[in-house]
Amino acid sequence: MSKRKHDISRRQFLEGSGAVLVAATAGPKLSAQLSSSIQPETGGATREVPSTAIRLVVNGTEHRLEVEDRWTLAEVLRDHLGLTGTKIGCNRGECGACTVLLDGKPVYSCSNLAVWADGREVRTVEGLAHGDQLDPLQRAFVEHDGPQCGFCTSGQLMSARGLLTRNPHPTAREVRAAMTGNICRCSNYNRYVEAVLAASSTRDAKTSDRGAGRSTAPGRRGAKASARAGGA
Amino acid sequence: MKTFTNTNPNSLDQAVSLVQQARTNGQTASLVGGGSDLLALVKDFIVKPDVLVNLKTIKGLDQVVPEAGGVHIGGLITLDALGSHPVIRSQYTVLAEAAETVATPQIRNVGTLGGNVCQRPWCWYFRNGFPCLKNGGSMCYSVGGENQFHAIFGGGPSYIVHPSDTATALVALGAKFRVVGPSGERVVPGADFFVLPRQDSTRENILAPGELLSAVQLAPAPPGRRSTYNKVLDREAWTHAVVSAAVVLDMDREICRSASVVLGGVAPIPWRVPDAERLLAGQRITPALASKVGEAAVAGAQPLTKNAYKVPMTKALVRRTVLALATRA
Amino acid sequence: MSRPSKLTPLKTIGHPTARIDAVERVTGKATYTGDVHLPGMLYARVLRSPHAHARIRQIDASKALALAGVKFVLTHENCSVVWGAGSISGGRQYVDDIKKITRHKRYLFNNPVRFFGEPVAAVAATNRHLAEEAVRLINVDYEVLPFVLDQEAALRPESVKIWPEGNLSPTAKNEMEPEVYRRGNVEEGFRTADFVFEDRYTTTYVHNAQMEPRLCVAGWEGDKLTLYTPTQGTSNCRHDMARDLGIPDEKVRVICKYMGGGFGNKNQNQDADLIAAVLAKETGAPVKLELSRKEDFIGVHGRWPTTQYYKVGVSRDGVLQALQLRGYSGMGPYRKNTGGIGGIELYQCPNVESVTYPVYTNRAVSGNYRAPEFPQGFFGIESMMDDVAYKMKMDPVEFVLKNMTRKSDDEVPYTNYTLEECIRRGAEAFEWKKRWHPPGADPGPIKRGVGMAFMALRSPTGQSSAVIRLDSNGRYTVFVGVTDIGAGAKTTMALIAAEALGVPLSNIEIVWGDTDRCPYSVGESGSRTTDMTGYAVIEAAHDLKRQIAAKGLPKGDNVLIASASPNPTSEGKVRKAFGAHFVEVEVDTELGRVRVLKYLAVQDSGRILNPLTATSQVKGGATQGIGMALHEDLLYDRQTGQPLTTGYYGTRIMTHLDAPEIEVIFIESDDGYGPFGAKCIGEAGIVHAVAAVGNAVFNAIGRRMKDLPITRDKILGALV
Repeated sequence: MSKRKHDISRRQFLEGSGAVLVAATAGPKLSAQLSSSIQPETGGATREVPSTAIRLVVNGTEHRLEVEDRWTLAEVLRDHLGLTGTKIGCNRGECGACTVLLDGKPVYSCSNLAVWADGREVRTVEGLAHGDQLDPLQRAFVEHDGPQCGFCTSGQLMSARGLLTRNPHPTAREVRAAMTGNICRCSNYNRYVEAVLAASSTRDAKTSDRGAGRSTAPGRRGAKASARAGGA
Repeated sequence: MKTFTNTNPNSLDQAVSLVQQARTNGQTASLVGGGSDLLALVKDFIVKPDVLVNLKTIKGLDQVVPEAGGVHIGGLITLDALGSHPVIRSQYTVLAEAAETVATPQIRNVGTLGGNVCQRPWCWYFRNGFPCLKNGGSMCYSVGGENQFHAIFGGGPSYIVHPSDTATALVALGAKFRVVGPSGERVVPGADFFVLPRQDSTRENILAPGELLSAVQLAPAPPGRRSTYNKVLDREAWTHAVVSAAVVLDMDREICRSASVVLGGVAPIPWRVPDAERLLAGQRITPALASKVGEAAVAGAQPLTKNAYKVPMTKALVRRTVLALATRA
Repeated sequence: MSRPSKLTPLKTIGHPTARIDAVERVTGKATYTGDVHLPGMLYARVLRSPHAHARIRQIDASKALALAGVKFVLTHENCSVVWGAGSISGGRQYVDDIKKITRHKRYLFNNPVRFFGEPVAAVAATNRHLAEEAVRLINVDYEVLPFVLDQEAALRPESVKIWPEGNLSPTAKNEMEPEVYRRGNVEEGFRTADFVFEDRYTTTYVHNAQMEPRLCVAGWEGDKLTLYTPTQGTSNCRHDMARDLGIPDEKVRVICKYMGGGFGNKNQNQDADLIAAVLAKETGAPVKLELSRKEDFIGVHGRWPTTQYYKVGVSRDGVLQALQLRGYSGMGPYRKNTGGIGGIELYQCPNVESVTYPVYTNRAVSGNYRAPEFPQGFFGIESMMDDVAYKMKMDPVEFVLKNMTRKSDDEVPYTNYTLEECIRRGAEAFEWKKRWHPPGADPGPIKRGVGMAFMALRSPTGQSSAVIRLDSNGRYTVFVGVTDIGAGAKTTMALIAAEALGVPLSNIEIVWGDTDRCPYSVGESGSRTTDMTGYAVIEAAHDLKRQIAAKGLPKGDNVLIASASPNPTSEGKVRKAFGAHFVEVEVDTELGRVRVLKYLAVQDSGRILNPLTATSQVKGGATQGIGMALHEDLLYDRQTGQPLTTGYYGTRIMTHLDAPEIEVIFIESDDGYGPFGAKCIGEAGIVHAVAAVGNAVFNAIGRRMKDLPITRDKILGALV
């Protein structure tokens, strides 16, 4: 088996994983509320956890890293590459918060092991904008109030990006079908669909690859939105 | 998640021998297609593999290839690719439509035909780790419990329903399944691939440990063939079939020469309805005939305490599907 | 306060405005609790009961502790911390005394365990997979006990007693009595009524299912705890933590910047927060505790299921004479909230009686979910009234107009009243008369139908605080103790501040979500933030303007600091938001499918401060209501007391393809209270949505669906 074929970024991996820890000395107890009948024994059985060196291209940057075979792609992106824009809502392919593009196609990063993505290209929400130039979808999400709590938003964006790249001018029905693997419990579905349709009518709808975004981000403050109350 | 070793075979032989090797070492091995479903089962400790054999690294198993006038479809083709493949769409529509109803785009982008056909049941007792027949226990909890989504045909001692949409379509198309294992390759008719619980309640198909479904073969579609897949979901997306109907009609102008009617969501295997097929053969399909076919589809149904609604639902679904297909331009 | 008869347009308020933090939310830069990583952090996992009710004979954690990297195991044997907010007499969650007096204390780890999924042990280890494996190595010897799942059955004498005193959960006075509401004399009313109707309705346990599952990061510096946790109220969470851990409030810092929703699931502190804090104390390292989606479904809380018996007396001309409810609410084995069943009080009727029994069961614990006691109660009463209207051969809208509330409890005036306008405007815009037909009138098999329901929802005023600092660069920094659950509180506070100060929105900076930096706020629950904290922002702005007038603008390094802690009242009147929802559905009578074709929500939430986000709130609430009406239930296996449908797949949460277009019309008003006349909105969209859908289904098929959710099997079952 492929245990630690090479250790290119072993050190980095350890730091990122939280495996290097200060000695866990027990702090002062919460008096009276706790006794200490169950305490760790010193030492303990160390087991070897299978790991593999892989290469991932994430948002255009190549990473070589050693991952435990059991780590999901979502876990590696979030905990080891610091790309926490990808969220984990259910960790089992039911909600879509973890959606990323794998070789251009939306997938659940919680339901793919990182080792399976070896040698492949991953695009996350952090890879949508180019500097201050937001992807047309991001701009539309801002203007149309796409995110309420925002936890599903990255996934919604990545599914929408996958759609517009393939089909730059979808119908509302096509948008819903393409994004139906992305639950929004705030249930801002109308807004998301509105936003994707609005983005699809922009000139740069299809090509938001890095550097292709033309417009600048709306001002952080007070961007006037186009949607109207009482209808929409 | 428990620890396991992922292995990346580059051939079917190697995949099979990796499983063999694991078994020799007293380890459990799981074959992985898209892996979405398997990972969920591993996270829940329902499946506890020591070794994963990642089939995705085997080249060339994801193609639709012409073969003897029909097609050979590699087991690793994704559901997305299958659903959008022009030949499948035009010649084997029922299969393309079935693939399109599976789960969500994200799952269809990685999920494979082989994995979809071989997925474990979605019975909530099995998935929640009850010590049921499917989890190696001795009873089926659905009998005395919540059986809304369970079998009305072919049940006992387990009452799961087969969860695969594509399996239902493949049986309707008379597909042959190519199985690769330690003792080489064998080809079995789709209808013989699936196993009723009364034969073996621990598995849903004939695959022995170390065997895998490498491809399916479809005979050429005769002129005049129409086929479709209709699925009743429990919301508008991402549920397994409450009931589904895969219908294939070979038409000679307005006369149906032969038909294939296979139901999903009603039995532990894709459920063929020969009586319904016989009714259709040689007939012009009228609303009255379609109703009769619907009645025939549910003849002999044995509902449990909470799934009797599947009987009228199946009847209506079959009637509508047959009629719509027959009158399709 | 003045009471303007007509709304005067404002400069910043009232215009569709994108959230001030929208860019963070669409670029992945917004920091949620799960994104917090502290050096040396341990990961914790919880072992949960596999039984609905069991006594723990013995716990053996030695195998778990033998794993290298496992740092600590907590169980009921070594931890006796009481989770004060976890079980409260009367369910009055914000009152400290009630948390103290409750007879039914909830420890972090209880013995016996009283529901499937109750925490039995928690492990801290060097990584999450290790913690997960270690949890599975803990050996627990259980004596399995009988259990009861149904709230009505639990009150029968033969039922197993979950607590020694029985299964009726005690009141705020710690008495085992039902909650009673009365006006007039119902018996007298039924005697004089021409017709009396009776029926039974049930609603299910519906989980909040917010996208972000519960998790937290706790760390100690000396004797001070810093807790990163998704909480809807940082101030209340801090106080809860301090009380439960026996330390002063100032020794706890709660930080919550961004949060993936909650809908009431994240009020106050949760047991996860306490478990992480104790593990962090024991190990001397920060601890991150993450719940799986399944654990979130069974381990936090959802809407309480109810059984509702109604009796309605009505005169020949369709005027209500008497209304009676006997209700049962399933609270799980601990009391986290009132278990109330709201709605019956909202009819003009001289004789009303409501007796509700909050009942302990061996199910997952119930608690707040968006308008905690209303969608289930409104489903019951408005289905019942719709049914009465049809039986009286009256148009349901006419029946409502005749009998709906005009004064609170028929006595106390509202601060303003627009319910009739909501209904009339809605009926007109929806073309109710045109779309309505007699029940089941469509030939089918696919039948259309329309339904309507109304609501009035408490829109409280109350205490909150705000601080505004002005520096010499013209920056106004507003310190408010709000969190941003998704409703847009930060943006709302900025809009209010800009309007009150008369400066551009871009001059406002909001500091939020951190108890060490921000003053008290009630938090994002009960639709109160805009009203209460918004009002405090206005008062602080007035203070600042007075200071500016007196001292001039600050120069150089000088600043001006203004603050306010108002506690306004509505002067003996009752503030309510009003609304009416109109729905058209299509029911496939052969396949059992219900589709919403048209949905119109008319809401009076006072002045709409930001039409963009306010509309989103109503759309979201209505859509959740449709989900509750048609799909959601945490189904239990009655043989074992185990839940079967945890998670988004199991519960059939609405997807993009399920969600209809929700049209929203606001009837704006300014009752003279609340910030610029704003009333509550966050919960307002869901209250009557469930009933409206149910009523539309009745109109379509001519069969009354009395048990939620209205799934395919029930539709087909009713039509057989």
